[in-house]
Amino acid sequence: MRTKILVLLTVLMTMSFVLSACASAPTAAPKPTNTPVPAEPTATTAAAAAEPTATTATAAEPTKETKVEAGKFDWTVFSTEFKGKKVSASGPAVDQQAMLINKSFEEFEKYTGIEVDYEGTRDFETLVLVQSEGKAAPDLGYFAQPGLLKNMVKKSFVVDLSTFLDKEHLKKQYKQSWLDLAMMDGKVAGVWHNADVKSLVWYPVPEFEKAGYKVPQTWEEMIALSDKMVKDGNTPWCIGIESSGATGWVGTDWIEDIMLRTTSPENYDKWTNGQLKFESPEVKNAFQVMSKIWLNPDYVYGGTTAILTTPFGDSPTPLFDNPPKCFLHRQASFITNFFPKDAKVGTDVNYFYLPPIDAKYGKPVLGSGALVAMMNDRPEVREVMKWLTYGESGRVEAEAGVQIAPQNDASLDWYPPAQRGFAEILMNADTFRFDGSDLMPGAVGAGAFWTGMVDYVNGQGLDEILKSIDAAWPK
Amino acid sequence: MGNANSLRQQRLISDILVNGGLFLLCFIWTVPTFGVFVSSFRTRDDISQTGWWTIFTNPATITTLNLENYNNVLTGKEYVYKSPSGDERREKGPNLSQSFMNSLTVVIPATVIPILIAAFAAYGFAWMRFPGRKMFFVMVVALLVVPLQIALIPVLRDYTKLGLNGTFLAIWLAHTGFGLPLATYLLFNYISQLPRDIIESAFIDGASHFTIFIRLILPLSTPALASFAIFQFLWVWNDLLVALVFLGSKPDVSVLQQQLQNLVGTKGQDWHLLTAGAFITMFVPLVVFFSLQRYFVRGLLAGSVKG
Repeated sequence: MRTKILVLLTVLMTMSFVLSACASAPTAAPKPTNTPVPAEPTATTAAAAAEPTATTATAAEPTKETKVEAGKFDWTVFSTEFKGKKVSASGPAVDQQAMLINKSFEEFEKYTGIEVDYEGTRDFETLVLVQSEGKAAPDLGYFAQPGLLKNMVKKSFVVDLSTFLDKEHLKKQYKQSWLDLAMMDGKVAGVWHNADVKSLVWYPVPEFEKAGYKVPQTWEEMIALSDKMVKDGNTPWCIGIESSGATGWVGTDWIEDIMLRTTSPENYDKWTNGQLKFESPEVKNAFQVMSKIWLNPDYVYGGTTAILTTPFGDSPTPLFDNPPKCFLHRQASFITNFFPKDAKVGTDVNYFYLPPIDAKYGKPVLGSGALVAMMNDRPEVREVMKWLTYGESGRVEAEAGVQIAPQNDASLDWYPPAQRGFAEILMNADTFRFDGSDLMPGAVGAGAFWTGMVDYVNGQGLDEILKSIDAAWPK
Repeated sequence: MGNANSLRQQRLISDILVNGGLFLLCFIWTVPTFGVFVSSFRTRDDISQTGWWTIFTNPATITTLNLENYNNVLTGKEYVYKSPSGDERREKGPNLSQSFMNSLTVVIPATVIPILIAAFAAYGFAWMRFPGRKMFFVMVVALLVVPLQIALIPVLRDYTKLGLNGTFLAIWLAHTGFGLPLATYLLFNYISQLPRDIIESAFIDGASHFTIFIRLILPLSTPALASFAIFQFLWVWNDLLVALVFLGSKPDVSVLQQQLQNLVGTKGQDWHLLTAGAFITMFVPLVVFFSLQRYFVRGLLAGSVKG
């Protein structure tokens, strides 16, 4: 009898061991690739396009104004007294982007002698909280989710940058909407390092042109174009929102884009911080505008079933079939990563700006990006933060075409031709707003809003869904 | 006569049922793995457009199978991007070889240290008389139910104070601590069931506790040690969380699992490489498992079923 119990216990222990092994997995599971990746900073001097080789030897006061010959970056704004000091940085960008981030620091390291070491991990969002609690946070963190950074600010894990960065300098380097987004609890929580443009529609160029289709300039034109495609026996749209734990975010991006086009930016801000309810007519209208495309079986390749079951990364694939199984796909600039290897942006596939609905609101752009925040206050870390406010700091990544530098002194000449358009769209935006679901509290922005989209596509009643999203707001 | 026949028939039917059932279960369990295996030889575009079974339904596509994924995983991905002037630049990304060595550096001590300590402890609990023995043993068993996640932050704080963060020593100690309760418990079960006569006669011959442990206990408990070694090895090898927290993701220390996770790319665009990566990382645990597996079942059950 005793031995039997022992066997049982052993088995149980084994199971608990195995289970605990399994249990740890979700905690560490890669964050769904919801939002843009943290990108890298592109810094430049006002005039821009030149090699950042200007290594003027003399050290200067950090606060000195940038006034050097046109096209050269003035390195003398940085101090050289921190030679040999190390600064650690961490963020969710891995692989190629991590390599580029490290590269983007090279010129800075050459001049200042400060060694910046970036390490990427896809679990950054989870890990940085643990590390901060354990007082082992990296010096710099790349945050793609302002909501998470806000959380960090509340716990006082982040240094207020206004203590050493000049307000005027920041105003010069960034558009006001970026600065507003970086203000959290009255502190400057971080500086913007990169941006992604989300308001894009992709189409297969050769077949699009062969069929005589024209890039639409307004929403009505886009709907008319869709109708025309249906009449020609084609399917206009490809949509897929499956993204494992983050399924639904593709839909929230659509809603946000439509919100910006059907109501004022002020209302959008109210909506993202909870003052404007999901049940309000503005938000409801956005859902209805979207449903005219999403829930129309003639418009969407595979209908609602395909929307729910196609991984977002696979959803543009039918664009590249011959003949294309669909002609339009709305997705952020990073979707190029998921295109077939040999597809060339510009010749095989191209993009246009998701057209405005109401001329009153101009050309708004929805985007996302990464903020670099400072977690340990040391003089050499301050020096790196200052570097990140210049467009030049993101130039390497801009030249590689992987991201857009949000700083005002970044130059359009840096981008490869195919990616220059993203930067242009961003620069020419009448309004720029950040991905709303990333600004909302996690329970909504990474929870009820996502699942609400899934329920909506599944055919559940709109009022009921909006009500349940509202109910999810933390009290 | 007829009776024997029907018995044989019954046996046959039950054989068919049992074997058929087993076959079906094995088949269901193996098919996805096989699918991943086939997929690891296919390109991303193929994977996202057609299923792996296409190689059977349309054998002509077998020619599209290639080693590109394995090549990318083993030697590093090649990044191609356009420079502003329009020319293409190519660069090699990180490969798995460094992290492979890191993983071995982590996993071997993190397996050996807890086993050694646990074997000592198990012997002490089983054969030595000292006050509070039962209470200590209950404490060890109670620790089994403490999930390691709740220990992460306090341990990390201590490591930060000691300056251990990001060193291999830190992760060896962490894995040792997290592995010890189960190790001690399993080994105690086995060691306490060894025949009392052997140990008593050794005592009479004048052997010390240490000699008995080294000369008698260790050789006799090889099956239990080996089976726990498999457990601990697999657990540490597959661990991502503990390594991320205590070791960090710098290339000179990052373990295989982290590298594998990073291979997927920031947006998850290169998930197809995971197929090849999975089979490569699977290789070492499989070798360990098959070389130790004859002890596995014996080690788990021996000691507990013997009177």
